[in-house]
Amino acid sequence: MTKNHNNSELQPNLAAVVLGWIIPGLGHVSLGQKRRGFLIMGGILFLVLCGILVGGIDAVDHKNDGLWFIAQVWCGPIVVGVDLLNQALIAPLPVADKVTRVGLSHANEIGTLFIAMAGLMNFVVLLDVVHARMGDDFEKRTSIPDRRSS
Amino acid sequence: MLAWIPFLEPMNAMQSWWYLLLLPLVFGISVVYRALREENYAKYWLSVVIMTVQIVFGIVGIAIALGLFVQFVIPLLNQP
Repeated sequence: MTKNHNNSELQPNLAAVVLGWIIPGLGHVSLGQKRRGFLIMGGILFLVLCGILVGGIDAVDHKNDGLWFIAQVWCGPIVVGVDLLNQALIAPLPVADKVTRVGLSHANEIGTLFIAMAGLMNFVVLLDVVHARMGDDFEKRTSIPDRRSS
Repeated sequence: MLAWIPFLEPMNAMQSWWYLLLLPLVFGISVVYRALREENYAKYWLSVVIMTVQIVFGIVGIAIALGLFVQFVIPLLNQP
């Protein structure tokens, strides 16, 4: 099935994967799939911003929500930065001051969920970009034979 | 609410309508997923809307089924 593949097609796009982690969607943009990449970027950033809007920066907390953070961190340095802000601005506060800064019940749950879903979607995006082809954007994908069937 | 600082403080006022946040969550997921799967940009936003509606109706359906199960089936099982 893979006899017709040349070596360049089989090699994983590791640089694009790293770019896609640093800024979601940038991996596809770097491979010439600009429209696809910017839509991914918009979708992931929309989810992250919604999560922070609902849950505050406390929605990312690697100390208290470690398992969630594993899903969230696939969004890249944005989430790491939010976590650093949380640890610097909110974690050291006394309990009385923390009350308005820490999400309660649904606010914390939904905010955390939004960013975790963004991270998991970006993980799927990174899996796609590993063997994505240069310039394989929307309409062009139909004009090039499927790499799995060639 | 007046002293709320967006993005720094959580939106605790949404406690009573949290389930409506399913819409932006599903919309964001659909935007990303259809960007990966769609081959024709002309149909992209339509397929995003269709996927969003499908997931929302699926979750609402599951919620209704679970509600009926808890309200009616479990009391029947508890009868002597």
